[in-house]
Amino acid sequence: MSSENSHMVALRDVVMEFEDKKVLDDLSLTVEPQERLVVMGQSGSGKSTILRLILGILHPSAGEVFFKQFEVTRLRRRKLQQVRRQIGMVYQYSALLSSRNVRDNVALPLEELSEKSRKEIDTIVDEKLDLVGMKDARDLMPSELSGGMRKRVSLARALTMEPELVLFDEPTAGLDPVIASVIDELIISLTENAKVTSIVVTHEMASAFRVGTRMAMLYQGKIIEDADPETFKNSQNPVVAQFLSGSTEGPILEGSQDAIEKK
Amino acid sequence: MADQKKETTEEGLIAAPVIALQEIGSAGQNFLAEVGSMFWFIINTFNETLERLREGRVPFTASSFFRYAERAGVDSVPLVGLVSFFLGLTMALLTGYQLQRFGTERLVPGLVSIGFTRELGPLITGIMLAARIGAAFTAELGTMTVSEEVEAIEAMGIGPLRFLVAPRMLALFFLMPCLSTISNISAIVATSLISKAYFGIAFPYFVDLVRDSLLIRDLITGVLKSFLFGLLIAAIACYRGLNVKGGAAGVGTATTSSVVTAITVVIGVDTLYNVVYTNFFPT
Repeated sequence: MSSENSHMVALRDVVMEFEDKKVLDDLSLTVEPQERLVVMGQSGSGKSTILRLILGILHPSAGEVFFKQFEVTRLRRRKLQQVRRQIGMVYQYSALLSSRNVRDNVALPLEELSEKSRKEIDTIVDEKLDLVGMKDARDLMPSELSGGMRKRVSLARALTMEPELVLFDEPTAGLDPVIASVIDELIISLTENAKVTSIVVTHEMASAFRVGTRMAMLYQGKIIEDADPETFKNSQNPVVAQFLSGSTEGPILEGSQDAIEKK
Repeated sequence: MADQKKETTEEGLIAAPVIALQEIGSAGQNFLAEVGSMFWFIINTFNETLERLREGRVPFTASSFFRYAERAGVDSVPLVGLVSFFLGLTMALLTGYQLQRFGTERLVPGLVSIGFTRELGPLITGIMLAARIGAAFTAELGTMTVSEEVEAIEAMGIGPLRFLVAPRMLALFFLMPCLSTISNISAIVATSLISKAYFGIAFPYFVDLVRDSLLIRDLITGVLKSFLFGLLIAAIACYRGLNVKGGAAGVGTATTSSVVTAITVVIGVDTLYNVVYTNFFPT
């Protein structure tokens, strides 16, 4: 138990099965305070599943998931809700509430979970929107925003409760390269200023190397490489090498070819 | 080769009833599982709401409650009123002509008013609300589920049941009796018009006839039933909405299923209610 305390997040021998498909297979992963871990992997390899396991939205078929000293899988609803307040999550498609405007979206966690007055909430909302450069969009509805703007509002919403851990699900997917860099820089500056730990799930190479202080590669339900960016870049592992080069020759496609033939 | 074929048909014949039984069994099991999870859905919504109240916080804002109350209740008044009015007209007219042959057309006011307050008012309102509001709730929550909004709410540490489901459930729970009362009134008004126009029953006499035949018991049972229907329709609609799987098509399927389930459940529960009720109050 005491060894779990030093990690921000720890997954131990996690197995995750959806019906008969094993998505995560005996996966173990730890995240230390204030690092930015980038988890890379193919689409559908279970990267987002890891984030949902940490939030306790999905339950592993076997294994343990720790957030600080809490074992997320064993918490009762109320305790789990309290733990979730310390974690911010930025969704791939932003997941802003479409019936509320930007201000109300960012204010939602404060209105629901804190005792703050409307005035205090407004100050915090303005401050967070200012951080992501979206102060002018305060009264717009999510449908009036572009993808990058939505992502920034979503980031502001994730930061309103001053979380210790922020999870990013494909933060730059579908954005143009310039906006992608803006988002990456926001992630770096925000996490450094607020001393926040973050886990970024992505398959965008440029973004991954810009953001990460540590990289992990998820392949066939296991972490096959876990190193600092420099070592990761020069990895001898054929899967990692193929993934980084984007080549069609190598173990990744062979694996999927096998799967197709088996079916 | 021929032997082999014969064997397989024989095997098939032996297996067929087993397969049929298996199918029936699994359908029954699915049905019970669904009823069970619907039940727990309602219980969990209550629990989450009560937990929140115990923390000394409101489970949802008054404005969100009134928004749903307006949409589900106030906006449904024209539809419920009009349909009940037409039904009242038809019922009075049809029964009136039959009763006239025995010279007992003065029973029409009592017949329609008892029929509506006890039975048709809540039932018709229930069916209309299941179609109008149940579908809207399911589509709305289904779209939120598909676009990960519900998950985002959950991930923030906000209970989605008390935040999204509780205000909808409460709105329908309280508005349903009001709407069935409106349904009763407009049916009785329609009957009074038919009684006057076709059977020569003047309004004061009509009111007397209605008051003589209506029992407080009839009114209460209708109102109680309406509360129950409101709760069930909202629960089914929200449950279906939050369990949507598979994008836009999933929302469509869930909405259809929500309306069909809600209407079936309303009629089924009504029957059950009447069986129990007539056991306790046979007259």
